[in-house]
Amino acid sequence: MFSTIKLVIGAYFHIKLLIIHLELAIGVFALNEALVVLVRSIIAFFTLLIFARMLGKQQISQLTFFDYVLGITIGSIAASLSVDITTRAWPHWVGLATWTGAVFILQETSIRSKLGDRCLTGEPSILIMNGQIMEKTMMKLRYTTSDLLEQLRDKGVFDLNKIGFAVLETNGQLSVLLKPEYQPVTPTDLNITSSNAGLSNQLIYNGLVIEANLARAGVDRIWLEQQLQAQGINSPSEVYLAGYDANSGSLYIDKYQDNLS
Amino acid sequence: MKSLKYYAFVILLFALFIFIMNGGDLFKKPLGSGDDFMLYMNRLEDNISVNEWQTASVNYEKLYRAWKKIVPRIQYSVEKNEINAIDVNLARLKSCISSQDKTLALLELNEAREHWQDLNR
Repeated sequence: MFSTIKLVIGAYFHIKLLIIHLELAIGVFALNEALVVLVRSIIAFFTLLIFARMLGKQQISQLTFFDYVLGITIGSIAASLSVDITTRAWPHWVGLATWTGAVFILQETSIRSKLGDRCLTGEPSILIMNGQIMEKTMMKLRYTTSDLLEQLRDKGVFDLNKIGFAVLETNGQLSVLLKPEYQPVTPTDLNITSSNAGLSNQLIYNGLVIEANLARAGVDRIWLEQQLQAQGINSPSEVYLAGYDANSGSLYIDKYQDNLS
Repeated sequence: MKSLKYYAFVILLFALFIFIMNGGDLFKKPLGSGDDFMLYMNRLEDNISVNEWQTASVNYEKLYRAWKKIVPRIQYSVEKNEINAIDVNLARLKSCISSQDKTLALLELNEAREHWQDLNR
Protein backbone atom coordinates (compact mmCIF):
# COMPACT_ATOMS: atom_id res chain seq x y z
CA MET A 1 0.00 0.00 0.00
CA PHE A 2 2.71 2.40 1.10
CA SER A 3 4.84 1.54 -1.96
CA THR A 4 1.86 2.19 -4.30
CA ILE A 5 1.30 5.67 -2.81
CA LYS A 6 5.04 6.32 -3.12
CA LEU A 7 4.91 5.21 -6.75
CA VAL A 8 1.93 7.46 -7.56
CA ILE A 9 3.55 10.48 -5.88
CA GLY A 10 6.81 9.74 -7.71
CA ALA A 11 5.00 9.51 -11.06
CA TYR A 12 3.15 12.78 -10.35
CA PHE A 13 6.40 14.65 -9.71
CA HIS A 14 8.04 13.09 -12.75
CA ILE A 15 5.16 14.26 -14.98
CA LYS A 16 5.24 17.72 -13.36
CA LEU A 17 9.00 17.91 -14.02
CA LEU A 18 8.48 16.78 -17.62
CA ILE A 19 5.87 19.51 -18.17
CA ILE A 20 8.21 22.15 -16.72
CA HIS A 21 11.05 20.94 -19.01
CA LEU A 22 8.69 20.92 -22.00
CA GLU A 23 7.58 24.47 -21.21
CA LEU A 24 11.20 25.59 -20.90
CA ALA A 25 12.14 23.88 -24.18
CA ILE A 26 9.24 25.46 -26.07
CA GLY A 27 9.73 28.80 -24.31
CA VAL A 28 13.27 29.09 -25.71
CA PHE A 29 11.77 29.62 -29.15
CA ALA A 30 9.01 32.08 -28.04
CA LEU A 31 6.99 33.48 -30.96
CA ASN A 32 9.25 32.99 -33.93
CA GLU A 33 7.97 33.46 -37.47
CA ALA A 34 10.99 31.71 -39.01
CA LEU A 35 10.44 28.69 -36.77
CA VAL A 36 6.76 28.54 -37.69
CA VAL A 37 7.68 28.71 -41.39
CA LEU A 38 10.30 25.98 -40.85
CA VAL A 39 7.77 23.61 -39.22
CA ARG A 40 5.09 24.40 -41.81
CA SER A 41 7.60 23.91 -44.66
CA ILE A 42 8.54 20.47 -43.32
CA ILE A 43 4.83 19.57 -43.21
CA ALA A 44 4.26 20.92 -46.75
CA PHE A 45 7.37 19.22 -48.18
CA PHE A 46 6.64 15.73 -46.88
CA THR A 47 2.92 16.00 -47.60
CA LEU A 48 3.66 17.00 -51.20
CA LEU A 49 6.25 14.23 -51.51
CA ILE A 50 3.77 11.57 -50.35
CA PHE A 51 0.93 12.96 -52.48
CA ALA A 52 3.19 13.11 -55.56
CA ARG A 53 4.16 9.46 -55.01
CA MET A 54 0.46 8.59 -54.73
CA LEU A 55 -0.27 10.24 -58.07
CA GLY A 56 2.24 8.05 -59.93
CA LYS A 57 5.10 8.54 -62.30
CA GLN A 58 3.58 10.40 -65.23
CA GLN A 59 6.32 12.42 -66.91
CA ILE A 60 6.12 16.14 -67.61
CA SER A 61 6.15 15.43 -71.37
CA GLN A 62 3.07 13.21 -70.97
CA LEU A 63 1.01 15.77 -69.08
CA THR A 64 -2.12 17.20 -70.64
CA PHE A 65 -2.91 20.90 -70.25
CA PHE A 66 -5.32 20.05 -67.41
CA ASP A 67 -2.66 17.97 -65.59
CA TYR A 68 -0.28 20.89 -65.96
CA VAL A 69 -2.78 23.35 -64.43
CA LEU A 70 -3.52 20.87 -61.62
CA GLY A 71 0.20 20.61 -60.87
CA ILE A 72 0.55 24.39 -60.67
CA THR A 73 -2.51 24.68 -58.39
CA ILE A 74 -1.29 21.96 -56.02
CA GLY A 75 2.17 23.54 -55.93
CA SER A 76 0.67 26.95 -55.20
CA ILE A 77 -1.39 25.58 -52.29
CA ALA A 78 1.72 23.86 -50.89
CA ALA A 79 3.61 27.18 -51.10
CA SER A 80 0.83 28.94 -49.15
CA LEU A 81 0.84 26.15 -46.56
CA SER A 82 4.55 26.69 -46.14
CA VAL A 83 4.90 30.47 -45.82
CA ASP A 84 1.49 32.14 -45.44
CA ILE A 85 1.40 32.39 -41.64
CA THR A 86 -1.43 34.92 -41.65
CA THR A 87 -3.75 31.94 -42.14
CA ARG A 88 -3.83 28.60 -40.36
CA ALA A 89 -1.93 25.67 -41.88
CA TRP A 90 -4.85 23.25 -41.61
CA PRO A 91 -7.18 24.78 -44.28
CA HIS A 92 -4.26 24.81 -46.75
CA TRP A 93 -3.50 21.18 -45.94
CA VAL A 94 -7.16 20.26 -46.47
CA GLY A 95 -7.05 22.11 -49.84
CA LEU A 96 -3.92 20.19 -50.82
CA ALA A 97 -5.49 16.86 -49.84
CA THR A 98 -8.73 17.71 -51.70
CA TRP A 99 -6.98 18.63 -54.96
CA THR A 100 -4.75 15.56 -54.75
CA GLY A 101 -7.81 13.40 -53.99
CA ALA A 102 -9.65 14.87 -56.99
CA VAL A 103 -6.69 14.15 -59.29
CA PHE A 104 -6.46 10.62 -57.86
CA ILE A 105 -10.17 10.00 -58.55
CA LEU A 106 -9.81 11.33 -62.12
CA GLN A 107 -6.80 9.08 -62.70
CA GLU A 108 -8.68 6.05 -61.38
CA THR A 109 -11.67 6.90 -63.61
CA SER A 110 -9.40 7.22 -66.64
CA ILE A 111 -7.73 3.88 -65.90
CA ARG A 112 -10.94 1.94 -65.23
CA SER A 113 -13.29 3.42 -67.84
CA LYS A 114 -12.61 4.01 -71.52
CA LEU A 115 -15.49 6.50 -71.67
CA GLY A 116 -14.17 8.30 -68.58
CA ASP A 117 -10.72 8.50 -70.14
CA ARG A 118 -12.19 9.92 -73.36
CA CYS A 119 -14.22 12.55 -71.47
CA LEU A 120 -11.38 13.61 -69.19
CA THR A 121 -8.31 13.55 -71.42
CA GLY A 122 -9.95 13.84 -74.84
CA GLU A 123 -8.98 11.94 -77.97
CA PRO A 124 -6.10 12.27 -80.42
CA SER A 125 -7.04 14.36 -83.49
CA ILE A 126 -5.93 13.69 -87.06
CA LEU A 127 -4.49 16.90 -88.52
CA ILE A 128 -3.09 15.46 -91.77
CA MET A 129 -4.83 12.57 -93.49
CA ASN A 130 -3.40 11.03 -96.68
CA GLY A 131 -1.25 14.11 -97.11
CA GLN A 132 -4.18 16.56 -96.78
CA ILE A 133 -4.41 19.10 -93.96
CA MET A 134 -7.68 18.95 -91.97
CA GLU A 135 -8.38 22.68 -91.62
CA LYS A 136 -11.73 22.30 -89.82
CA THR A 137 -10.21 20.07 -87.13
CA MET A 138 -7.36 22.54 -86.68
CA MET A 139 -9.81 25.43 -86.25
CA LYS A 140 -11.81 23.43 -83.71
CA LEU A 141 -8.62 22.75 -81.72
CA ARG A 142 -7.42 26.39 -82.06
CA TYR A 143 -4.27 24.98 -83.63
CA THR A 144 -2.50 27.24 -86.11
CA THR A 145 -0.61 26.36 -89.28
CA SER A 146 2.61 27.70 -87.76
CA ASP A 147 2.07 25.36 -84.77
CA LEU A 148 1.74 22.47 -87.19
CA LEU A 149 4.82 23.41 -89.22
CA GLU A 150 6.86 23.99 -86.07
CA GLN A 151 5.98 20.59 -84.62
CA LEU A 152 6.65 18.91 -87.97
CA ARG A 153 10.10 20.51 -88.12
CA ASP A 154 10.65 19.33 -84.55
CA LYS A 155 10.00 15.79 -85.84
CA GLY A 156 12.55 16.31 -88.64
CA VAL A 157 9.96 16.71 -91.40
CA PHE A 158 10.46 19.80 -93.56
CA ASP A 159 8.54 18.72 -96.67
CA LEU A 160 4.74 18.38 -96.33
CA ASN A 161 4.69 16.09 -99.40
CA LYS A 162 6.39 13.35 -97.36
CA ILE A 163 3.63 13.13 -94.74
CA GLY A 164 0.98 10.41 -94.81
CA PHE A 165 -0.65 11.07 -91.45
CA ALA A 166 -0.11 13.52 -88.59
CA VAL A 167 -1.95 13.04 -85.31
CA LEU A 168 -2.14 15.57 -82.49
CA GLU A 169 -1.99 13.58 -79.23
CA THR A 170 -3.87 14.57 -76.05
CA ASN A 171 -0.64 15.82 -74.44
CA GLY A 172 -0.03 18.22 -77.35
CA GLN A 173 2.68 16.11 -79.05
CA LEU A 174 2.45 15.52 -82.80
CA SER A 175 2.89 11.97 -84.11
CA VAL A 176 3.91 11.77 -87.77
CA LEU A 177 3.65 8.82 -90.16
CA LEU A 178 5.59 9.33 -93.38
CA LYS A 179 4.37 8.05 -96.74
CA PRO A 180 5.75 4.53 -97.42
CA GLU A 181 8.23 5.78 -100.01
CA TYR A 182 9.82 8.17 -97.50
CA GLN A 183 10.06 5.79 -94.54
CA PRO A 184 13.56 4.71 -93.45
CA VAL A 185 14.82 1.32 -94.58
CA THR A 186 14.80 -1.39 -91.90
CA PRO A 187 16.91 -4.60 -91.77
CA THR A 188 13.74 -6.54 -92.71
CA ASP A 189 13.40 -4.53 -95.94
CA LEU A 190 16.95 -5.55 -96.86
CA ASN A 191 16.50 -9.17 -95.66
CA ILE A 192 19.29 -8.77 -93.11
CA THR A 193 19.13 -10.71 -89.85
CA SER A 194 19.92 -8.53 -86.87
CA SER A 195 20.93 -9.64 -83.39
CA ASN A 196 18.80 -8.74 -80.40
CA ALA A 197 20.01 -5.69 -78.56
CA GLY A 198 20.09 -6.33 -74.84
CA LEU A 199 20.57 -4.16 -71.79
CA SER A 200 24.11 -3.17 -70.95
CA ASN A 201 25.41 -4.17 -67.51
CA GLN A 202 27.67 -1.76 -65.67
CA LEU A 203 30.79 -3.74 -64.78
CA ILE A 204 32.90 -0.86 -63.43
CA TYR A 205 31.58 2.33 -61.91
CA ASN A 206 33.81 5.03 -60.42
CA GLY A 207 36.82 2.72 -60.55
CA LEU A 208 35.08 -0.09 -58.63
CA VAL A 209 34.20 -3.48 -60.12
CA ILE A 210 30.55 -4.45 -59.48
CA GLU A 211 30.80 -8.17 -58.78
CA ALA A 212 27.02 -8.78 -58.90
CA ASN A 213 26.84 -7.41 -62.46
CA LEU A 214 29.80 -9.57 -63.58
CA ALA A 215 27.80 -12.70 -62.65
CA ARG A 216 24.64 -11.28 -64.27
CA ALA A 217 26.52 -10.66 -67.55
CA GLY A 218 28.01 -14.18 -67.44
CA VAL A 219 31.65 -13.05 -67.24
CA ASP A 220 34.27 -13.06 -64.48
CA ARG A 221 36.96 -10.79 -63.11
CA ILE A 222 39.77 -12.53 -65.03
CA TRP A 223 37.94 -11.94 -68.32
CA LEU A 224 37.39 -8.28 -67.40
CA GLU A 225 41.06 -7.74 -66.53
CA GLN A 226 42.08 -9.35 -69.83
CA GLN A 227 39.76 -6.99 -71.72
CA LEU A 228 41.16 -3.99 -69.82
CA GLN A 229 44.76 -5.02 -70.50
CA ALA A 230 43.94 -5.42 -74.21
CA GLN A 231 43.05 -1.72 -74.17
CA GLY A 232 46.19 -0.74 -72.25
CA ILE A 233 44.50 -0.38 -68.87
CA ASN A 234 46.36 -1.92 -65.92
CA SER A 235 43.76 -1.48 -63.16
CA PRO A 236 39.94 -1.00 -62.90
CA SER A 237 40.66 2.12 -60.82
CA GLU A 238 41.68 3.87 -64.07
CA VAL A 239 38.17 3.32 -65.46
CA TYR A 240 35.26 5.66 -64.81
CA LEU A 241 32.59 3.52 -66.47
CA ALA A 242 32.55 0.13 -68.18
CA GLY A 243 29.39 -1.44 -69.59
CA TYR A 244 28.97 -4.83 -71.25
CA ASP A 245 26.14 -6.07 -73.47
CA ALA A 246 26.15 -9.87 -73.25
CA ASN A 247 23.94 -10.29 -76.36
CA SER A 248 26.09 -8.31 -78.78
CA GLY A 249 29.33 -8.88 -76.85
CA SER A 250 30.21 -5.18 -77.00
CA LEU A 251 32.23 -3.67 -74.16
CA TYR A 252 32.20 0.08 -73.61
CA ILE A 253 35.05 1.55 -71.55
CA ASP A 254 35.50 5.16 -70.46
CA LYS A 255 38.71 6.06 -68.64
CA TYR A 256 39.21 8.91 -66.19
CA GLN A 257 41.98 10.17 -68.45
CA ASP A 258 40.34 11.65 -71.54
CA ASN A 259 42.34 11.86 -74.75
CA LEU A 260 40.64 14.48 -76.90
CA SER A 261 43.49 15.13 -79.40
CA MET B 1 5.38 -6.49 -44.82
CA LYS B 2 7.52 -3.73 -46.32
CA SER B 3 4.50 -1.95 -47.81
CA LEU B 4 2.60 -2.37 -44.52
CA LYS B 5 5.44 -0.60 -42.71
CA TYR B 6 5.45 2.09 -45.40
CA TYR B 7 1.70 2.73 -45.06
CA ALA B 8 1.97 2.71 -41.25
CA PHE B 9 4.77 5.27 -41.47
CA VAL B 10 2.74 7.50 -43.82
CA ILE B 11 -0.36 7.28 -41.59
CA LEU B 12 1.70 8.10 -38.48
CA LEU B 13 3.38 11.02 -40.25
CA PHE B 14 0.03 12.43 -41.38
CA ALA B 15 -1.40 11.93 -37.86
CA LEU B 16 1.54 13.92 -36.46
CA PHE B 17 1.08 16.69 -39.06
CA ILE B 18 -2.67 16.90 -38.37
CA PHE B 19 -1.98 17.02 -34.60
CA ILE B 20 0.53 19.88 -35.03
CA MET B 21 -1.86 21.81 -37.31
CA ASN B 22 -4.90 21.33 -35.04
CA GLY B 23 -3.30 21.19 -31.60
CA GLY B 24 -4.18 24.82 -30.82
CA ASP B 25 -7.27 23.95 -28.77
CA LEU B 26 -5.30 21.47 -26.69
CA PHE B 27 -2.27 23.72 -26.21
CA LYS B 28 -4.51 26.67 -25.22
CA LYS B 29 -5.47 24.77 -22.09
CA PRO B 30 -3.31 25.30 -19.00
CA LEU B 31 -0.51 22.70 -18.90
CA GLY B 32 1.64 23.95 -16.04
CA SER B 33 1.58 26.66 -13.44
CA GLY B 34 0.51 30.23 -14.15
CA ASP B 35 -0.71 29.71 -17.71
CA ASP B 36 -4.50 29.65 -17.18
CA PHE B 37 -5.42 32.51 -19.52
CA MET B 38 -9.20 32.31 -19.00
CA LEU B 39 -8.86 32.19 -15.20
CA TYR B 40 -6.92 35.47 -15.16
CA MET B 41 -9.28 37.01 -17.72
CA ASN B 42 -12.28 36.26 -15.47
CA ARG B 43 -10.48 37.53 -12.37
CA LEU B 44 -9.49 40.70 -14.21
CA GLU B 45 -13.05 41.25 -15.39
CA ASP B 46 -14.31 40.90 -11.79
CA ASN B 47 -11.67 43.36 -10.55
CA ILE B 48 -12.46 45.94 -13.22
CA SER B 49 -16.24 45.60 -12.70
CA VAL B 50 -15.89 46.61 -9.03
CA ASN B 51 -13.13 49.19 -9.67
CA GLU B 52 -10.40 47.24 -7.83
CA TRP B 53 -7.60 48.76 -9.92
CA GLN B 54 -4.70 47.69 -7.67
CA THR B 55 -5.69 44.01 -7.84
CA ALA B 56 -6.54 44.39 -11.52
CA SER B 57 -2.98 45.55 -12.19
CA VAL B 58 -1.57 42.44 -10.42
CA ASN B 59 -3.92 40.12 -12.29
CA TYR B 60 -3.07 41.84 -15.57
CA GLU B 61 0.62 40.94 -15.06
CA LYS B 62 -0.38 37.34 -14.41
CA LEU B 63 -2.59 37.34 -17.52
CA TYR B 64 0.23 38.79 -19.62
CA ARG B 65 2.73 36.19 -18.36
CA ALA B 66 0.23 33.40 -19.01
CA TRP B 67 -0.26 34.65 -22.58
CA LYS B 68 3.49 34.77 -23.22
CA LYS B 69 3.74 31.16 -22.02
CA ILE B 70 0.90 30.00 -24.30
CA VAL B 71 2.00 31.71 -27.54
CA PRO B 72 5.02 29.44 -28.27
CA ARG B 73 2.78 26.40 -27.87
CA ILE B 74 0.00 27.52 -30.17
CA GLN B 75 2.00 29.39 -32.84
CA TYR B 76 2.10 26.39 -35.23
CA SER B 77 -1.66 25.93 -35.39
CA VAL B 78 -3.23 29.40 -35.18
CA GLU B 79 -3.32 32.52 -37.32
CA LYS B 80 -0.53 35.02 -36.67
CA ASN B 81 -3.13 37.82 -37.00
CA GLU B 82 -5.12 36.46 -34.04
CA ILE B 83 -1.96 36.36 -31.90
CA ASN B 84 -1.16 39.94 -32.91
CA ALA B 85 -4.75 41.02 -32.13
CA ILE B 86 -4.54 39.63 -28.58
CA ASP B 87 -1.13 41.30 -28.14
CA VAL B 88 -2.71 44.65 -29.11
CA ASN B 89 -5.71 44.07 -26.80
CA LEU B 90 -3.39 43.35 -23.86
CA ALA B 91 -1.29 46.45 -24.57
CA ARG B 92 -4.42 48.64 -24.65
CA LEU B 93 -5.81 46.92 -21.56
CA LYS B 94 -2.66 47.86 -19.63
CA SER B 95 -3.21 51.53 -20.46
CA CYS B 96 -6.90 51.30 -19.55
CA ILE B 97 -6.01 49.84 -16.13
CA SER B 98 -3.36 52.53 -15.58
CA SER B 99 -5.85 55.28 -16.44
CA GLN B 100 -8.65 53.45 -14.57
CA ASP B 101 -10.98 53.59 -17.57
CA LYS B 102 -13.61 50.95 -16.79
CA THR B 103 -15.58 51.10 -20.09
CA LEU B 104 -12.55 50.82 -22.37
CA ALA B 105 -10.94 48.16 -20.16
CA LEU B 106 -14.03 45.93 -20.36
CA LEU B 107 -14.23 46.55 -24.09
CA GLU B 108 -10.61 45.45 -24.62
CA LEU B 109 -11.09 42.48 -22.31
CA ASN B 110 -14.12 41.26 -24.23
CA GLU B 111 -12.42 41.73 -27.57
CA ALA B 112 -9.41 39.75 -26.30
CA ARG B 113 -11.80 37.03 -25.13
CA GLU B 114 -13.37 36.90 -28.61
CA HIS B 115 -9.94 36.58 -30.25
CA TRP B 116 -9.01 33.89 -27.73
CA GLN B 117 -12.09 31.88 -28.70
CA ASP B 118 -11.29 32.37 -32.40
CA LEU B 119 -7.81 30.89 -32.04
CA ASN B 120 -7.60 27.61 -33.99
CA ARG B 121 -11.05 28.18 -35.55
